[in-house]
Amino acid sequence: MSSESGNSVAFGNRFRTHVDRGNPIRNMDPIVVFIVLVAIAIAPIAFPGFVAAAIVCLVYPVIALFAGVAREFLPTYLRLFLVVGLVLFVLRAAFIEGKDPLFRLGNIAPTWAGMEEGARFALLVMAISGAVTLFFNVATVRYLMLALELRGVTPRATYVILASFQSIIDLGRHARTVLEAQQSRGIETQGNIIVRARAFFPILAPVFLAAINQTEERAISLDARAFNSNVSHTHLVTLRPARPREIVFAVVVVAAVLVAFIGSALGWL
Amino acid sequence: MALATLRGVSFTYAYTNEPALRDINLTLEEGLLYAIIGPNASGKSTLCALLRGIVPLFHEGELTGSAEIRGRNLFDWDPAELSREIGYVFENPFTQISGIKETVFEEIALGLENLGMPSDEVIDRVEQVVEQLELGALVAKNPNELSGGQRQKVAFASIIAMDADVIVIDEPTSQLDPESSDAVFAIIANLKKKGKSIVLVEHKMDLVAQYADRVIALNGGRLVIEGPTSEVFTSPLLNASDIARPAVTDLAEALAKVGRPLARTPVTRAEAADLIRARMKGGPRANRSR
Amino acid sequence: MVNESAVVKFFKGYGRLTIFMMPIGIAINFIGGQIALLLKLPVYLDSIGTILVGATCGMGPGAVVGAISNILNAITSPPTLAFGVLNIMFGLLAGYLARRGVFKSWSKTLLSAIPFALIGGVLGAIITIWVFGGLAVGGGAIVVGALVALGLDVNTANFVAQVPMDILDKVPTVMIVFAIIKGIPNRTHAKLPLGYIYLGKNKAGASTKPSGTSVS
Repeated sequence: MSSESGNSVAFGNRFRTHVDRGNPIRNMDPIVVFIVLVAIAIAPIAFPGFVAAAIVCLVYPVIALFAGVAREFLPTYLRLFLVVGLVLFVLRAAFIEGKDPLFRLGNIAPTWAGMEEGARFALLVMAISGAVTLFFNVATVRYLMLALELRGVTPRATYVILASFQSIIDLGRHARTVLEAQQSRGIETQGNIIVRARAFFPILAPVFLAAINQTEERAISLDARAFNSNVSHTHLVTLRPARPREIVFAVVVVAAVLVAFIGSALGWL
Repeated sequence: MALATLRGVSFTYAYTNEPALRDINLTLEEGLLYAIIGPNASGKSTLCALLRGIVPLFHEGELTGSAEIRGRNLFDWDPAELSREIGYVFENPFTQISGIKETVFEEIALGLENLGMPSDEVIDRVEQVVEQLELGALVAKNPNELSGGQRQKVAFASIIAMDADVIVIDEPTSQLDPESSDAVFAIIANLKKKGKSIVLVEHKMDLVAQYADRVIALNGGRLVIEGPTSEVFTSPLLNASDIARPAVTDLAEALAKVGRPLARTPVTRAEAADLIRARMKGGPRANRSR
Repeated sequence: MVNESAVVKFFKGYGRLTIFMMPIGIAINFIGGQIALLLKLPVYLDSIGTILVGATCGMGPGAVVGAISNILNAITSPPTLAFGVLNIMFGLLAGYLARRGVFKSWSKTLLSAIPFALIGGVLGAIITIWVFGGLAVGGGAIVVGALVALGLDVNTANFVAQVPMDILDKVPTVMIVFAIIKGIPNRTHAKLPLGYIYLGKNKAGASTKPSGTSVS
């Protein structure tokens, strides 16, 4: 139909230019984003106390906001703060021994120094965690793999990672189908732990085996698509090359963090 | 140069006892549409796999006899080169989607990217194939969320986009309704017109009768008969080996049995329609002559 | 020196199905963990795929599956990155044990739960102590906290909490791996790097390229 083919032409044209993800930060080269975030994440280690780490933790939501990924990033990051950050802080604050405890509760005697140390450690972990979460929200695995391929990484390597996402979806779906089938057939999946443990095996073994049995056909079908050809592959989807100002920005950030570490080593801080 | 020359070819898959192909002697010419027919487990898929080198290069086993593909011994081919010259679409549409692309458009483009085609050409080629197969409504969809029939079409499109000289298709219509099956065969016929050689496995005998130039009938791994479509379908050999025939051929035979044969045995519907029309006009005379 | 051909060689050199087994191994790690959660089992069961790929494809692919699973896990739970080396070790150990024929018999497979649990428990405890000062988050953190509150020192508490938990986790893990290896058809084993072990062949026979009349 003419209207349908009209759609496909319009659709195809989007590949004639670099991917536009609709946001200057998300359009940045994933590798540049990676370098900048690593530098920011480790920077607080150079500074004493917890203030630097706290600032970095506050910088991430701002970046996420400008990158238009706040909706994905913030809930995850908040959850991490509660589940990981808070627990790390409490455990440290409670168990690090020292003089002048603030109060006593059995063996637990938190001190001000312990609280400070706990806050520093928890915030350092959160600084690194935030960088990881933000990176995957901004760059996404798909574009990271594309950036790596464009830099010469073999598609066989990126295939493993990209295909694993689809495999997780497919296997998950299959496993849930089998689980429901087992339940409707009266196989118990609730009740005591031995009953539940026994249900685990018949759900998963057939699902896993079915997936393994498909590998042969997957190998043949990708081979039929010239996956094993020796010529260098081209790319339908292309990323805009990193802009000079982005590279300058990355270099400045990395240099600043290096200076901080050198300063820390020389005892300036 | 023949597309394939098999001399006394037998093949037994590793870890099985029964041979999948037994003593096959066959020459396939370029530029024709061959249909491989036969009951289940008669060796159809193995023959397809052999033409594409998957047997015995990927699925190991014991191959005896000699197999030449386009004038070169199967074992002298570089597997990557063979996969470029011979396109291969197989039965299961679910394992033919790569699982690494987000849209049908990108899925169809995958093979072309792997061949190193510049991206502007890739886009043009994919658009052509999409139009040809009327897949416009699917291009933006996630190929991993499609139905079996849709996946089958996408898998087919992905291979014909690569424009190989020879295309081997194992059951192109197994997941399709009659209307889509007709459409797919029309496209295959068009490919042949452009000079491609086609070898396909098909169970829908009416389609085979209508489109195939020659038919290869297998049974139990043995070649029953190979020849022009109408000859094969009217051959007593086929009858003896319990292989399905087009409905109109069966009908003509039934008529013959009750003493009212058509002027000749038809294999396509169009032929049957003509013969029956002729008989209805000249019917009385034909009857009187008996 | 990092060059691409080494990477290509790595992926090509490990048998023809290896790169298709790895994504499935990664998915198995995730789905195993998810179903264990769904059934409210007190174990992780999130290293089945790593050990399976290590046992069928070798140390390298096993380690890669472990590493990638860990990175993907880090997307939603970054602190798990610190324990990535555990998964890599599971893959390496599985490949090593497979070469010694461990996964061919169920009794040896069952015993292999001990070294896996020791890696998981001891190395896991060591990482917890080194990286998180003995007070990490996750499975045993609350237990560790409780043990410390009862007067145990932090390091001992980590070992006491983690080793038994890992035994509980690795016994079903290796038994599922064993059952899956048993269920893989011979023709698939023939295309996997360590398949020769389960087909009862020597390595030389398996590593020759397929020729005209291969495999008797």
